[in-house]
Amino acid sequence: MSAHPLLRELKLTLRILARNPSALIGGAVIVLMVLLALGAPLLAPFDPVKLSLAERLSAPGAAHFFGTDELGRDIFSRVLYGARISLSIGLLVITVAGVTGALIGATSGYFGGRIDNAVMRVMDVVLSFPSLVLALALAAAMGPSLVNAILATAFVMIPKFARLVRGEALSVRELPFVAASRVAGAGHGFIIRRHILPNCLNSAIVLATLTLGDAILIAASLSFIGLGAQPPTPEWGAMIASGRKFLMDQWWYATFPGLFILVTVIGFNIFGDALRDVLDPRIRR
Amino acid sequence: MRFWTILCCLVLLLVGSTVYAADKDTLVVSVSSDIHTLDPGVSSDNYDWRQIYPCYDRLVKYKVENGKGSTEVEPMAAESWTVSPDGLTWTFKIRKGITFDDGTALNAEAVRYSLDRTLAIAKGPADNIGAIATMKAVDDYTLQITLKNPYGPFLQTLATDGASIVNPKVASHAVDKDLAQAFLAEHVDGSGPFKVVEWTRGQRCVLEAKPKYWGGAPKLKKVIIRFMSESADRRMALEQGDVDIAENILIDQIPALEKNKDIVVNRYPSQMVEYVYVNCQNTKLSDARVRQALSYAVDYKGIIDHVLQGNGVQMRGPIPEGMWGHRDDVFQYTRDVAKAKELLKAAGAEKLELTLIYSERRATWEQIALIMQANLADIGVKLNLELMSNPTLRDKIDKADFELCLGAWSPDFADPYMFMNFWFDSKNAGLPGNRSFYKNDKVDELVRKSATLSDVAERKKLYSEAQDIIMKDAPYIFLYQIQTIVPLRKNVKGYVFNPMLESMYNFEAISKE
Repeated sequence: MSAHPLLRELKLTLRILARNPSALIGGAVIVLMVLLALGAPLLAPFDPVKLSLAERLSAPGAAHFFGTDELGRDIFSRVLYGARISLSIGLLVITVAGVTGALIGATSGYFGGRIDNAVMRVMDVVLSFPSLVLALALAAAMGPSLVNAILATAFVMIPKFARLVRGEALSVRELPFVAASRVAGAGHGFIIRRHILPNCLNSAIVLATLTLGDAILIAASLSFIGLGAQPPTPEWGAMIASGRKFLMDQWWYATFPGLFILVTVIGFNIFGDALRDVLDPRIRR
Repeated sequence: MRFWTILCCLVLLLVGSTVYAADKDTLVVSVSSDIHTLDPGVSSDNYDWRQIYPCYDRLVKYKVENGKGSTEVEPMAAESWTVSPDGLTWTFKIRKGITFDDGTALNAEAVRYSLDRTLAIAKGPADNIGAIATMKAVDDYTLQITLKNPYGPFLQTLATDGASIVNPKVASHAVDKDLAQAFLAEHVDGSGPFKVVEWTRGQRCVLEAKPKYWGGAPKLKKVIIRFMSESADRRMALEQGDVDIAENILIDQIPALEKNKDIVVNRYPSQMVEYVYVNCQNTKLSDARVRQALSYAVDYKGIIDHVLQGNGVQMRGPIPEGMWGHRDDVFQYTRDVAKAKELLKAAGAEKLELTLIYSERRATWEQIALIMQANLADIGVKLNLELMSNPTLRDKIDKADFELCLGAWSPDFADPYMFMNFWFDSKNAGLPGNRSFYKNDKVDELVRKSATLSDVAERKKLYSEAQDIIMKDAPYIFLYQIQTIVPLRKNVKGYVFNPMLESMYNFEAISKE
């Protein structure tokens, strides 16, 4: 058994996860969504942006599984391509927010004192806004586009990561090996990189999984009010926004993208919850 | 005790809107967008006129014949009039006893002041009454108007919103010689049957009836105009009885309304057209070949057959069917992708990226915008869409701060002047009418000349020649002429549609059973 310790850790985690029913369900949903997103070009029967006015607003049926929208575009195809967009948005947001937040948090926690105080107050200010409202204001100020919506969503997520990582960093920096490292002459950057950050990784990953659902939801909300994805991009939130106008007579238009958001977000949330339980050292051994 | 008071207040708050519509004295109209200004001398928007028009009197008004709006006029504030044989001098006898709210008498001087004010402001409405050369109050109740040239539709132009008679006392509200524009943008001061008592932006505008109106007290006490941007919301409010009239419902939702036995859906042939302003001053669009390519790209038939579900016809030339001067043989663009690409190539504009701005004023516009985006993509033009509020949109139009913009137009009097001169005369650039900022000297000359003549055959010939040039220059993408559909609750009586008064209501004659 000469496996890398990280690999061994991963195997153990997976084994515990497999025994957890909600992790299984959540995981299955995530895998399914990823597969749908990756396979969209193969699975989608129609071009998601191709108009077919003669078929507009047709009900779900054999030709169009989820019906068509007001321009005759196939909703099933659009929802599949929408999965690509929503998942990429989620991942991008989490990556940007996670990396930035972790760096801020680790630095702040490691140095402590005045720097810590100043940084954390700024984070508190950001946190004190309801995240959706702040994201809305930012996106509106930057102008409507998908990139801006991603940046705005990422920005409001940064403090969550910063706070979490900072808390971990505060305790990690007191551990003997950090002191040893310092005595051995290691610089601040080295210690943050090699000791602080890796030890905060577990909780950051849990938070990332948990927030991924939120990120998708906020980005979809921004698109819903027109600040995110621009037409004809088949983004779920944007689809609901235009489908809402037809909800009374054509239920399928807004319903299917809505269901996909619901299922995806729930999937990420229950998986994240399960992951938190699994990675908790008190439960683990 | 206090508990019950609070509870009652809450209940009242919750059902507040329903209470209004259920009230027989109050008419609630739900419309798609907020208004821009209340100044009759400034506004060239029927959506503003909806509120302005019933607050003022004019010299003449459009007749109602057998329950139908006519394009002919009859006396209003003018009791009678005579015209000199050469058609140049008009003498109006003003009705005595009409007063403004503060007691000021509506007399010849008030009419002169109002018309003069509109002309001096020189915005869109000024062009309606642009035939006027001089005015003179012969005595207190006699006004003499001299025209620059004989002008056929002159009397009808006096029935348009821009000819509203304003209380001359508003002059005291003038700031920096603005002719009280700042004041009248948000207030009304007229002798009409209603007055605006509240305008909450983005919410509603409330008109209150004047029981002492000289033409008889209106049957309604109050009219509430509610701004609701979603067609589905307007429809729901109408079905629930929260509102009495709902404008601009998506055609897809009309069949469901027709099934509701509490609602009557009226359809009227109209001269309302929808089109796209192509900003000719924009460097990307200054080449006529590029504009032609855009006109060739649009799938007119698909839009009319499916989005409008046949409730419209493709425009042929700028003048709508039913108006004299309309030509059945003028060139009409139809979708031709190959030709459009060829034109773009010839113009060296193959990598074109444009932005179309639009509002939710018309319920169908979002679909039209999306279709145009797909249609233009077919010819290699990337089209960005930008939705904005109607007042913002109108500001941008006036400043030529756009590339493409969706618009609607309906005539205010039955003369092709409404289209040919407003849309193409370069001196009307901007909101007044020439919203594509089009300038062609030959067209300017033709339409200006036609406006000064009284011989219809001669005028037709000039307009006809101008139309051929215009279709080649393609300053607008001419979409379609639509049918006006007005759904109202069954207990609303007395509504009369007039194609010259699109989106405007005869509130003074409407009642609720």
